[in-house]
Amino acid sequence: MDSALQYDGVSVGYHGTPVLTHVDLDLAAGQSLALVGPNGAGKSTLIKSVLGLVPVLGGTASVLGVSPAAARGLAGYVPQTDTLDADFPVSARQVVMMGRYREIGWWRPARAADRRAVAEALDRVGLADRAGHRFGTLSGGQRQRVLLARAIAAEPRLLLLDEPFNGVDAVSQEAIAGALRQLTAAGTALVLSTHDLAVARDLADLVCLVNGRQWAVGPPAETLTVAKLREAYGDRGVLVEL
Amino acid sequence: MSWWDDALHRATVEVILAGALGGLVGVQVVLRRLSFFTMALTHATFPGVVAASIIGVNLLIGGAVAGGIIALGVAALSRRRGQDAAAATGVLLSAGFALGAGLVATQSGFSRDLSSFLVGSILTVSTTDLATTAVVLAVVATVLLVCARPLLLVGFDRTGAQAAGLRTGAWDIVLLLTIEIVVVTVVPAVGTILALSLIVAPAAAARLWSDRLPVITAMAVVFGVGSGLVGLWVSSHWNVAAGASISLIATAVLAVSWLSSRLRWLPTQLRRIPASAAPAVPGRSDGGSSAAARPAVVTQ
Repeated sequence: MDSALQYDGVSVGYHGTPVLTHVDLDLAAGQSLALVGPNGAGKSTLIKSVLGLVPVLGGTASVLGVSPAAARGLAGYVPQTDTLDADFPVSARQVVMMGRYREIGWWRPARAADRRAVAEALDRVGLADRAGHRFGTLSGGQRQRVLLARAIAAEPRLLLLDEPFNGVDAVSQEAIAGALRQLTAAGTALVLSTHDLAVARDLADLVCLVNGRQWAVGPPAETLTVAKLREAYGDRGVLVEL
Repeated sequence: MSWWDDALHRATVEVILAGALGGLVGVQVVLRRLSFFTMALTHATFPGVVAASIIGVNLLIGGAVAGGIIALGVAALSRRRGQDAAAATGVLLSAGFALGAGLVATQSGFSRDLSSFLVGSILTVSTTDLATTAVVLAVVATVLLVCARPLLLVGFDRTGAQAAGLRTGAWDIVLLLTIEIVVVTVVPAVGTILALSLIVAPAAAARLWSDRLPVITAMAVVFGVGSGLVGLWVSSHWNVAAGASISLIATAVLAVSWLSSRLRWLPTQLRRIPASAAPAVPGRSDGGSSAAARPAVVTQ
């Protein structure tokens, strides 16, 4: 079976200037990968390169068997909630329906199957009772869950999440983690960025340590070690509790 | 004598069409916070209309060309990093107005027409103007309906839209040009400078009444048409300039909507303070749900 995501010696960046280099990844269907690194390490840039929004400057990259640019629109994406316009008059249900647009087409009306998929996705993240609420009135964690439901409704084979646990309360964290485990069990490949090492250890099959370049990749037990973390984060000292 | 030969009849139909047009596109302007951009468009349209009048071509074409250049210019500016798009828009705004005023000054005996470009001249609209407004209304309504999903996604979640494969820059241009066409079309009714009030005020007022896009859109159209009709009635009864009275009525609708939203908001805030917890902790409410009670504030 094809890899969901394969990067060989990839550099990514803006305007010809690399932000992140030496990236080697191989992610199969149903596997989850955590991108771990400090702020500004290039985690979001790497995610956007997979989405085809940031160019690959070197190396070979394959997303769902094709180039990232050709795969644009195929991979699911859960952005950080603060990049969205919270004043927009859209309900949680409408936001999740956005995930069905590719399936429905941009112009055709939604069918019963789409409405059912939306209801199921909201149920999977535990927000079935909030479907009619305006997105901007929900808490940060609930907004994150709505965005995850939107991605689930699109039924992607590869899903990328940018800091899905940032500013999220315990209830939402549990709901998101549960939904992500269901996704991988169903064969979806996951990439999530985080600076929370506990999240990486609990949820990911593979951890990729980045900070300007890739420092390590492998199972959490092999990568989330004090020595490897110190190497990636620099000599400023790493205080970790694993 | 046909029904259309009466200037007041034509004016009535024109305010209905222009009000609907302003309300419809105004929802996009308000949601995307493009009020200031629209302000610049109205001012940039002014020299185009004046130039068209001097050369002797259709005023709409002159306004559309001038405004189109500004629309594309702003779209290009906002894509460049490090550029202060608001500052550039502001400069374009006053430069456009200055250019129009300069053009007017070159023509002797032109100043009487100046006010009709600035604040409209609804009682002189022709049946051709009416037909143009009707066609533009049909086209704009169709564009907004057909492009509703891409415009919604681009406005709400720009990165998500890009990730879904949308060309957000192209959709921005579709929206900016749609706004521009509306601005130019409502010039005979309310003039270049007052067009803003017929576009922004009804939609901003509607936004204060509802959180649902279809309801907001319907209310914006009703407010736009209502402002036009009431403004025209006030104008014909008290001999006030029609463009000015339409703008003032639209502004009044917004003011009343805002006051009403504050009055609806106040009791929910008071209810929030439990009787048992007498000294309420200032600035601290129950997390995320506090946003629910806050009325949406429309800013630029």
